[in-house]
Amino acid sequence: MTSPIVLLRGVYGVWLREIMRATRDRGQMIGGVSRPLIWLLILGVGLNPYFRGEVFGEVRYVIPYTYLQFLFPAVIVLNIMYTSIQFAVSVIWDREFGFLREVLVSPMPRSLILLGKVLGGSTVAMLHGALVLILARFADVTLSIEQMAMALGLMFVLAFGLTSFGVILAGRVRSFEGFGVFSNTIILPLYFTSSSVFPLDPALTRTQTATAYPEWLVFMVQVNPITYAVDALRGILIGFNQFPPLYGPAVIFGMAIVFFALALIDFSRS
Amino acid sequence: MTWAGPHRWLQAGLNIAIVAALLFAVSYLPPDTSLQDRRRDGVLKVCVPPLYPPLITADPSRPGFDAELADAIAKNLGLKLALNVLPSIGKDFNPRNWSLTRAQCDIIAGGVADTVQTRSFLQTLPTPAETGWVGISATGAMPTSGGTVAILPGTAGLDRLALSTWLRKQGLRAQLMRSPAELEQALNSGTVAAGITERFVAASLRLDTNALTMFWLDESISPRFRMALGLWKGDQTLKRAVADTLELFEKSGVMLRLSARYGLDKDIAEPVSDPQK
Repeated sequence: MTSPIVLLRGVYGVWLREIMRATRDRGQMIGGVSRPLIWLLILGVGLNPYFRGEVFGEVRYVIPYTYLQFLFPAVIVLNIMYTSIQFAVSVIWDREFGFLREVLVSPMPRSLILLGKVLGGSTVAMLHGALVLILARFADVTLSIEQMAMALGLMFVLAFGLTSFGVILAGRVRSFEGFGVFSNTIILPLYFTSSSVFPLDPALTRTQTATAYPEWLVFMVQVNPITYAVDALRGILIGFNQFPPLYGPAVIFGMAIVFFALALIDFSRS
Repeated sequence: MTWAGPHRWLQAGLNIAIVAALLFAVSYLPPDTSLQDRRRDGVLKVCVPPLYPPLITADPSRPGFDAELADAIAKNLGLKLALNVLPSIGKDFNPRNWSLTRAQCDIIAGGVADTVQTRSFLQTLPTPAETGWVGISATGAMPTSGGTVAILPGTAGLDRLALSTWLRKQGLRAQLMRSPAELEQALNSGTVAAGITERFVAASLRLDTNALTMFWLDESISPRFRMALGLWKGDQTLKRAVADTLELFEKSGVMLRLSARYGLDKDIAEPVSDPQK
């Protein structure tokens, strides 16, 4: 029987390989920077004037924050989503080039191999999310150490869930090219329907909200789990929640458990 | 001795450091032109009501806490202060009806409470002034059930609904006052058992201080709010410059001196515990 220390070293080895591969890859790092720059610098600054008041009281955007502040937590989630789900490429790569086969024949249980890979992917995704925090000053978001620690914790759990989701996707897509298209058709609709770029005013009743937005869109926002992840980060970073504050962490932890369990089933069968 | 080659974390660390440095540099880019525009014009326009003592007064030698603060901010930014006195401010409970425009004001002062409602329309920078409901009575506490209380709500946007619910729950009879003078008269003559109004309205009343005591109402009725300077949403660079100036004033003691000059540091008695709770 293999000792727990040896097994943990195995998990560490798989984790380290993922970290090294991702952080040594300049392309991935540039991707992690370009997204927040495009979203905050170009979209955020570009749209900011349309969300500001010109006459006191005469503004439809009545959430008590600026558009840049509102967008900031959503850009963190976007960066985590891309990095986590794109992690599936690493699984496909390992499968295509035989590395996975070599690891799978080792004495390590498959669950621990998967854990090491998912932890590696989650760490990289959290790092990409944390890079966005550097832009907090630009977005006029003031952060305390406690807020940063809570946000990083939540970002890691979110990344864990989404990386596991990436592994599930990898089991269903056979080629790199197919995955590129497939991941965009998943990430972008999930992001845009998560109340990331427009607010559902929490002060409005269900009927009032339905008069501002079509009911199908409100429904999509409400059933999208990413909505609650964005909401949880907004709660921590700018103190604004559109839904009860416990919904976000509950959905994020739920996603992490369910997706990891499903990924484990898939990975054990492969 | 042989060279072991570069450390395995070197490449990764370098990549992370490069992107972090890039993002850090970008975070110093100005997101708008609001401060640049003010510097080009050389003027900082601050809108204030005609009277809101002690934040805005009619006395040129003591123009008010907010007026002096605005002047100090303008000087620190190298700008000339243009104080736009607008009678519409505070005339109506709904700030929408004050009809303030970007052309008139860069900053709104003299009665802006730092509430969620205000932050829906403006960005706020809190000042040391604090407001909330205060009670005034001979006993230093609210009367027991059945007593009559004079109410002058004021215009700072405090929660009137919560106050009226609390009064009903306590079994107190509310008598609405139309002006500070009417409240003064009711309290000084003793026709009401107590009065309730906003902190700065209460401070402006000419009361018989030997007979009447002022005290905060319990925060469970309505929370206290810091007063603030209001800036238009989206004017980030101007807001940063004003916030940095306020921080400088805090550190250098300017804020403390101004607070003392206008009596903002004076304590108001905390509420006595409510036996009916």
